[in-house]
Amino acid sequence: MKLTIHEIAQSLYLPLGTVRRWIRQGRIPIHKSGNGFVFNEAILSKWAAAHHLTFSPPKKSPEKQQDPELETLSSALKRGGVFYDIKGDDGASTLKAAVEHINVLDSHAKEKLYQRLLERENLTSTGIGKGVAIPHPHNPLPDADFRPFITTCFLEKPIEFAALDNKPVFVMFILLCPSVKSHLYLLSRLAFCIRDDSFVEFLKTFPSSDRLLLKIADFEEQLDRADRY
Amino acid sequence: MRIFKSWRYPASWKFFRLDDRLLLMLMAVIVGLCSGLAALALNRSLIAMFNWLHKYHHIWWAFVLPGIGAALSSLFLEKVVVEGAGHGVPEVIYSVSRYGGLLRFRSSYSRLISSCLTIGSGGSAGPEAPVVMSGAAIGSNIAKYFSLNDRQRVTLVGCGAAGAISSIFNAPIAGMVFSIEVILGEWKSVNIVPIAIAAVAGTEISRILQGNQIVFSHLQFNIDLLDIFACLGLAILTAVASIVLTRMLRSMYGISHKISAPIWVRAAVGGCAVGIIGLFLPVVLGEGYHAVQAMIGGTFSQGLALVAIATLAKVVATALTLGWGGSGGIFAPCLVIGSLAGLTYHHCLILLWPSISWVNEGCFALLGMAGLISGMLQAPLTGIFLIVEITGGYEVILPLIIVSAISTSLCHYIEPASFYLKELVERGHLLRPGTDARVLSDLNVREIIEEDCITVKQNMLLRDFINIIKISPRNYFPVEDEKTNNFLGIIHLDDIRAYLFNPDMYDAVVLGQIMDTKVDVVHPDDDLSEVLRKMDAHQLFSMPVVSNNKFLGLISKATILDQYRKELVVQTSQ
Repeated sequence: MKLTIHEIAQSLYLPLGTVRRWIRQGRIPIHKSGNGFVFNEAILSKWAAAHHLTFSPPKKSPEKQQDPELETLSSALKRGGVFYDIKGDDGASTLKAAVEHINVLDSHAKEKLYQRLLERENLTSTGIGKGVAIPHPHNPLPDADFRPFITTCFLEKPIEFAALDNKPVFVMFILLCPSVKSHLYLLSRLAFCIRDDSFVEFLKTFPSSDRLLLKIADFEEQLDRADRY
Repeated sequence: MRIFKSWRYPASWKFFRLDDRLLLMLMAVIVGLCSGLAALALNRSLIAMFNWLHKYHHIWWAFVLPGIGAALSSLFLEKVVVEGAGHGVPEVIYSVSRYGGLLRFRSSYSRLISSCLTIGSGGSAGPEAPVVMSGAAIGSNIAKYFSLNDRQRVTLVGCGAAGAISSIFNAPIAGMVFSIEVILGEWKSVNIVPIAIAAVAGTEISRILQGNQIVFSHLQFNIDLLDIFACLGLAILTAVASIVLTRMLRSMYGISHKISAPIWVRAAVGGCAVGIIGLFLPVVLGEGYHAVQAMIGGTFSQGLALVAIATLAKVVATALTLGWGGSGGIFAPCLVIGSLAGLTYHHCLILLWPSISWVNEGCFALLGMAGLISGMLQAPLTGIFLIVEITGGYEVILPLIIVSAISTSLCHYIEPASFYLKELVERGHLLRPGTDARVLSDLNVREIIEEDCITVKQNMLLRDFINIIKISPRNYFPVEDEKTNNFLGIIHLDDIRAYLFNPDMYDAVVLGQIMDTKVDVVHPDDDLSEVLRKMDAHQLFSMPVVSNNKFLGLISKATILDQYRKELVVQTSQ
């Protein structure tokens, strides 16, 4: 097998200078030939294993193994859907009613999700103030095979939710993610929007799904600008 | 056609590519033959020169001959080939550990000529270190010619040294052991096999051209238990002699270097002094193998006082020759001093206990040689095998081992580094394979630099900086000047954590105010051991690498450990 020294260094996860020196010193079974470097793949991987190094030669057809693109807030909201006039007198019954609306999950999963949400609420309330709650399970659901989503539920009437500022909750964003990373990412973005008082006022008008998504997209653009900086 | 084109690149032949042991063995034969021939050439020319100058020895001004020889030899080294004085073994050892055994081509003959001038004219020095140097240089240049890599070249350098010693003493095992114990310092089969082959090749070429003769043949010895006890005393005497010789060489070197005269004048002065001693005690002149032969054969008929004085005189003469700029090794003088010391000891024993029948004086001379070689080189195996082989006296092996072991241990206790290694140890250049110093000298800053730091500008607001912290993989942020991009200082997240959570500061502070400007930096060409010492002294875990006022990257202890371990694993396996 013949590769350039850059490719060899990359497939051994070593600095270029080290590989070059080892070849010169004859410590690694690679020979220079012309302007490339020749080695026997089996021997080199055996050598690497014997020396606690990892060796993964570059693939013929380079598969793009990038990190799966992090879900944006708008698409998660869109997937979860927006629902109005959720009935309920206390936290538990409202959550029960809200979970019923999540059409992404089957009934078995809904029941499990409901239990998890209650467990999380018992830990501390997810009412983050200003009448907004973000119920979510403590850990990602097991054998979770879905894309992250946020279901927005406007309540029929504000309920007591033991929120941080003790204000009654009028809207819930049920956040469900398959991984901790995407969970934190979406949570921080959502929190950024809610921190803005004008957004909360906007929510109090019970906006239509389209208007809500437009507003969220607006906020996300601001966030993206800051990240790119 | 391709075969003809690629014959200089045998390492890329498919036949040798899988395992280079076969290639090394083949090369070892060539190197062993060449270095064996070089050793023979020096030996022959020494004899020729000795015979040519012999007829002048009775003339009254003969004492200047060693002076002229030493002056010519140092002029040759200084002006013609431009190489440092000295015997060359430390240079070979250093080159093996630092530059993969790279030696200049001219080294393969320069020491031969200069030492031939010094010794042939009567200077007290040995031809062995020069042939080791030239053998090593021959091995190195053959490896270079065939484009072999460093590891293979080091083995061939060892092969050259082994072939030379084997050839000059007709002693293959001694050559092999010397090369591994002193020159390479690592016992690995991948080295031992080619070196053994080279030693055999060197011995064979010498046997073909000179006949298979034992260098110092001797009578049969009958060693009693009492003689073995007597060896303990001899071991102490030889250890003392080794220490005296080492100290004397160094002090002579120091004295001669205080004199502000051209190097050849110094060499001439030293040589003349040797010549004057030689007028009274001719035994000190030259490499002295005839005297050694006479002592082992029991035909060296001198009294106690004279032998003791001769021992001291030889020590002084050797120090005068080598310390003042002559060229040659200490191997042969060691043999002479050792046998003289052995003889002195024997005479003392007879004087003290005349009634006991001691083994004859040749045996003590032989043991004395082993004691001095082991003491000077601090290489007990070399001493034992060399003496066994050059005297053919296997029956003395038991007292030989005792004397060698004790002498080595005593000398090591007083002088921790042997004569060959002393200079290297003092300069921190002794880098034996698999040691901490070697690993650190092989790694360099450029290999462990991390370049994923995000640099920031000095006038950036803290508010903007927060966004950069979000996406940075590291806790260090080098600050650069806006216009020149020069490195100004560094911000460590730990130092500014307090301000980060105070939004009032976000627009009030620019990075230039909170950066650390008194930061220790590393240059990309710095020695890694020096960098680590700095880190330890200031309790740092990371340091910025700066060259030409530009920030290049970060160097951290975690990465150093990672690379250090990989390097150690790769270096010590095989």
